[in-house]
Amino acid sequence: MPVFNLCLKIFRRNWLAVFIYVAIFVAISVTIAITSVHDQSSGNGFTQQKAKIAFISEEKTPLTEGFRQELAKHADFVSIPDSKEQLQDALFFRQVTYVLRIPKGFTKNILDGGTMQIEKTIVPESVENAYIDIDVQQYWNLARLYVRHDPGLTQEQLTERLRQNLDGDTPVRMNVHEHAKTKDSFSMYYFNFLSYALSAILIMGISTVMIVFNKQDLRRRIFCSPSSPLKVNLQIILADLLFAAVALVALVGFCFLLDAKSFTTPNMPYFLVNAVAFTACITSLSFLVGNLLNNLSAMSGVCNILTLGPSFISGVFVPQEFLNDTVLKIASFTPTYWYVQANTKIAKLTDFDWQNLRPVFTSTLILLTFTAAFAALSLVVGKRKRLME
Amino acid sequence: MIHVKNLVKRYGELVALDHLSLDVREGEIFGLLGPNGSGKSTAINCILSLLSFDKGEVEIFGKTMAPDAYDLKRKIGVVMQNVAVFEELTVYENIDYFCGLYIRNREERRHLVEEAIHFVELDDFRKFYPKKLSGGLLRRLNIACGIAHKPKLIFLDEPTVAVDPQSRNKILEGIERLNEQGVTIVYTSHYMEEVEQICSRIVIMDKGRVIASGTKEELKAMITLGEKITVEVFSINEEQLSQLRTLPGIVSVEHIDRQLYIKSGKGSNNLEIVLDFLKKRQIGFGRIYSELPTLNDVFLEITGKQLRD
Ligand SMILES: Nc1ncnc2c1ncn2[C@@H]1O[C@H](COP(=O)(O)OP(=O)(O)OP(=O)(O)O)[C@@H](O)[C@H]1O
Ligand SMILES: [Mg+2]
Repeated sequence: MPVFNLCLKIFRRNWLAVFIYVAIFVAISVTIAITSVHDQSSGNGFTQQKAKIAFISEEKTPLTEGFRQELAKHADFVSIPDSKEQLQDALFFRQVTYVLRIPKGFTKNILDGGTMQIEKTIVPESVENAYIDIDVQQYWNLARLYVRHDPGLTQEQLTERLRQNLDGDTPVRMNVHEHAKTKDSFSMYYFNFLSYALSAILIMGISTVMIVFNKQDLRRRIFCSPSSPLKVNLQIILADLLFAAVALVALVGFCFLLDAKSFTTPNMPYFLVNAVAFTACITSLSFLVGNLLNNLSAMSGVCNILTLGPSFISGVFVPQEFLNDTVLKIASFTPTYWYVQANTKIAKLTDFDWQNLRPVFTSTLILLTFTAAFAALSLVVGKRKRLME
Repeated sequence: MIHVKNLVKRYGELVALDHLSLDVREGEIFGLLGPNGSGKSTAINCILSLLSFDKGEVEIFGKTMAPDAYDLKRKIGVVMQNVAVFEELTVYENIDYFCGLYIRNREERRHLVEEAIHFVELDDFRKFYPKKLSGGLLRRLNIACGIAHKPKLIFLDEPTVAVDPQSRNKILEGIERLNEQGVTIVYTSHYMEEVEQICSRIVIMDKGRVIASGTKEELKAMITLGEKITVEVFSINEEQLSQLRTLPGIVSVEHIDRQLYIKSGKGSNNLEIVLDFLKKRQIGFGRIYSELPTLNDVFLEITGKQLRD
């Protein structure tokens, strides 16, 4: 297959241009990875997420000690001197997100069936605090419950009961608070951003080959030889498809290297399907570009417009919720928009039932429609071009 | 070997080929001579089925030529007027690629490519990319790509444009050598010297039509011009000039810048007659030389215009 081999050679000769895009892409992705993994540490892994709290107790009783141990399962204690100013500073600088104070006489109040509350000062909108709140509520409500039903319990017995009761139910409680592991995750950003790198690489690579082979002199020269136009075109298409597949696998491979964990999420297969549909779409677009353009010098400009433009307005660089409606309306005429839409939806999936999946599949279907449209157009353009000779 | 009959090709209003007919015999170097735009390239493209044509028939090796006549194409080599090579491939790779379109066997191809490189003397440039080659070297690469697979029939469309005289001679010699090995060659050019030098039979084209054909001797015999004599004279008056014009065998005389351009008809003693005349009238003269007619003169006489424009 001489034409096929030649196509691959042309791809290889243009590796530098392609490599620049890959390099930029990987560099940016790594940056995203580092920053997002940083704030993920609290929102993503359930076992690790521990709030930093300042635990200040004005009394020390078996019950408060039991509470302290219970709390230690979900919190890291940071010792801060008990002064208003220092505590404020600690909150401000996020040394702690929760300041918890057990007032004097609290234990006695509980045992007497009173309603005294633990005092708290928190950093607002901190997810971890919610767990602490739950812990606090649970522990003391339970304590009050035992006291009411069994007033004869000693403090030590009560503490032991509470410990047994609260032991082991941690996972249950955690599940209640589960959200999609991929929401706002690295993999979502990566797959969104992948659309930019992928379209740049594919349009560059594929249309370069198409333009080379569409040069009239070379076409004629090739058809002086005993090769049929059909076979030549098929070989070119085959090489282009191979290139597209390799590009996709390579880019997804980088994602695996950077964040292998995300490949264990149930969302990943959908990300992949979406990426494959997008690759098909851009491959088809690249054929069209290759058939429309006559010279290589115009190509890098066209390539930039076709990749950067849709990426900006479709929310690859800036999330779609920050873009205004007019921009998004315009963007909806580009495949990138639908790809990003699908990705964002996939990232939020926790239930993989038809109702949740339908919007995702709709986006994918729209991508496939784009693919067919581009393919049909490039056939028409290619044919017209040959007829003009 | 090639049989073309009543080929008509139109580009809209323009008739690029107007009932063109020609025959190429096996083993000859066939010259297609014509000024720019006369339809040489169009003719070759139509013969090779690269262009569709409106009317006419083309047979090669006794079979009708068609876009899918792969068994015919396999035996044909083509060097196009426009250089057609891949910028992304080196000299060697380009030749290897085009040869590979005809010959699958790697080992065999390696020999053929080496031979072709040697043939066009690009041995020192095999690793060069086309961008780094001068215009002449690029032409030679173009030739190598067309002939590497050892075809029985080779079309060369103005292969020596922009090639320096030395390399041009080498290429012409090479073509003659190929011809001696039994390869039939169709050669187009608007350089009549080249065509005169190597072609055994010549067709002169103009405006898509054949205006004359035959061996160069036959072509020259077709016209009345026998000899062109140029004499450097120091002084000659109008009366003497008109007397000169009436001499037997003299067709025309022009006097420009102390040079007499005399055209005479066929015959062997034209120069003698002119010299006798000058001596008798005691007209001083310097250098004298006489030329036989060229194809340009043939073209000029038939069409009334110069072949070169
Ligand atoms: N694609 C085309 N569309 C329209 N007219 C064309 C086209 N190609 C060639 N022609 C015209 O056909 C005529 C013959 O062109 P052709 O290229 O065959 O000439 P040629 O003899 O090869 O000239 P040259 O010596 O310059 O190569 C010219 O008048 C040219 O303008
Ligand atoms: Mg030409």
